[in-house]
Amino acid sequence: MKPRRKGREIMDEMPSPTDATLSLRDVTKTYVLGADTVHALRGITLDIATNEYVAIMGPSGSGKSTLMHLIGCLDVPTSGSYWLEGHMVAEMSESQLAEIRNRRIGFVFQTFNLIPRANIFHNVELPLVYGGMRKAKRRALAENAIERVGLADRMRHKPNELSGGQRQRVAIARALVYNPSIILADEPTGNLDSKTGDEIMALFDELHGAGQTIILVTHEEYIAKHALREIRLRDGAIESDVTTRSQRRAEL
Amino acid sequence: MRWAIDLSEALQIALAALRANRARGALTTLGIIIGIVAVVLTMTAANGLQNRFRRTFSSVGADVIYVSRMPWVIMNDFFLYRNRPHIELRQAGQLEYRLRGKAIVNPTVNGVHDVKYRSKTMDGVTIIGTTEKQIMVSSAQPENGRFIMERDVTSKTSACVIGTDVRDGLFGTENPVNKKLKIGRNVFRVVGVMEKQGGSFLGGPNFDRQVFVPITSYVKAFGGTRGRQDVSVAIKAPTQEAMEELEFEVIGEMRKIRNLRPAERDDFSINKLDTLMGAFNNVMGVVLLVGLLVTSISLFVGGVGVMNIMFVSVTERTREIGIRKAIGAKRRSILFQFLFESCAICLLGGLIGIVVAVILTAVINAVLMPASVSLPILVVAVLVSIFVGTVAGFVPAYKGAKLDPIEALRYE
Repeated sequence: MKPRRKGREIMDEMPSPTDATLSLRDVTKTYVLGADTVHALRGITLDIATNEYVAIMGPSGSGKSTLMHLIGCLDVPTSGSYWLEGHMVAEMSESQLAEIRNRRIGFVFQTFNLIPRANIFHNVELPLVYGGMRKAKRRALAENAIERVGLADRMRHKPNELSGGQRQRVAIARALVYNPSIILADEPTGNLDSKTGDEIMALFDELHGAGQTIILVTHEEYIAKHALREIRLRDGAIESDVTTRSQRRAEL
Repeated sequence: MRWAIDLSEALQIALAALRANRARGALTTLGIIIGIVAVVLTMTAANGLQNRFRRTFSSVGADVIYVSRMPWVIMNDFFLYRNRPHIELRQAGQLEYRLRGKAIVNPTVNGVHDVKYRSKTMDGVTIIGTTEKQIMVSSAQPENGRFIMERDVTSKTSACVIGTDVRDGLFGTENPVNKKLKIGRNVFRVVGVMEKQGGSFLGGPNFDRQVFVPITSYVKAFGGTRGRQDVSVAIKAPTQEAMEELEFEVIGEMRKIRNLRPAERDDFSINKLDTLMGAFNNVMGVVLLVGLLVTSISLFVGGVGVMNIMFVSVTERTREIGIRKAIGAKRRSILFQFLFESCAICLLGGLIGIVVAVILTAVINAVLMPASVSLPILVVAVLVSIFVGTVAGFVPAYKGAKLDPIEALRYE
């Protein structure tokens, strides 16, 4: 499902180098903090194909958060190119980036980040609201997503009436609702106990099995082992990029 | 269609926000309430004044010219007119002769005298000597009995027609028709009562505190017109269009009658309803200006209060803004969300203000003078509320919209 541009077509100056869902070429990100210049990312080049299950790992300060923000279109690179589904993201306006975040990307955060005063249903349908979808269609998609994460009976509850694990499920439902190209999960089990964490990872595994592309950002080896590919960052550059064959399934 | 969905989300958020923080919302709206009450009361007052004016002076025909010694409205230039010679009854007669057939001419003469009935006395009543044409040049009609007729004038009878204030003051609930009263030292017989015209407007003449007598009887009772009498001539044109031409003609004839040389200015005044309206509008202009000033200041204060609260609201919801942006809200969605919230607060204040103002108006109506709030005024009040909401909320909303989502998400 390509994002509707309504006549505001983005001129692709360069075609995507590969058929991959996501391609980064020599991407850098530099901040100026007072008198210091911080090189958060130095020349990242990678491709992620459809239905890959990738874990991005690294210690604090390695640039993994920055990379996640860039992939998620919350930020733009200082230099280099980023293609998402064939479109050059770096040249896009804030408004266009918002559209991409709306439809192509599904975020799952460590702290869940649900809207506290709205109920579950409204939280999940929110991306559809911002996407301009009509009520009837929204209802169908939102209910579907909520059922998929197993919370159909809590649809009208508010976030504060749910447990941590349930809230994260809601966040996942919200991330899924527009059928995005990639799900970006930032320490998704960081605020959960190990048992609940396992349940959530099982859900991710299931989504991957159903065809979803998943990118995990984590510092836990245990969690990263669920993925099929591990990219390690150090000091803003890729240290290693290993595709494993085995996949650890969470014991339920 | 897409923006409509956006808008409805913004509206829902705004209403939810209002509901969540009632105390804060209430205090903020107070400033707006006061401002809107000021708006509505000012406009109602202006409206009321205009209506009052129109009613009081409705008997002054729009198609009538009044020739008199003094202009109706004298500000600080009294000295200019002081030395003018009085208009004499003879001159009025000449004017009538020259205009015969072209217009209805009604000369009047007036003075102030005491009026007595039995043991009651009313002093300072304006006595007007006039003819049967009075009710043709003025819209005021007798509500009881009859008016002066041609034979009263030719026969110099003692008929008189009194105004409602005179009736109330001397006769109370008694029917005054056919009763005899004393004007000055002369006996007159009441033949009719004029309809009520609505008191005195801002210190002007009180049309209800008058007595009409035949002009010939007036002269007979109170002496000739040497020096002290005030003669006025009302001239009514057959059609409104003929009025302008007639005015020129009247001026021309009067100048001849008064033996004015071409270079000399008019030593009499042509008064029309227009003149009064002009003077009135000047006063109204000032009233409105002052009212608007007070209103603007109070609305400004109210608006500042709203802006303040909106800044707080945006800050409180920084994290939420970050979340919304992360899932795809554009800047303008965030902008709308907060603009709606500030407009909702102001609209609420506006509605309460309208209710308060309507109640106050009803009180004024019952106690002081006729006043009512009309629909256009309410519409203006609502629009003003929305306007203040938009302006006051804009800067905070814009700041919220421009937040960097990454920073916002990190905010505790």
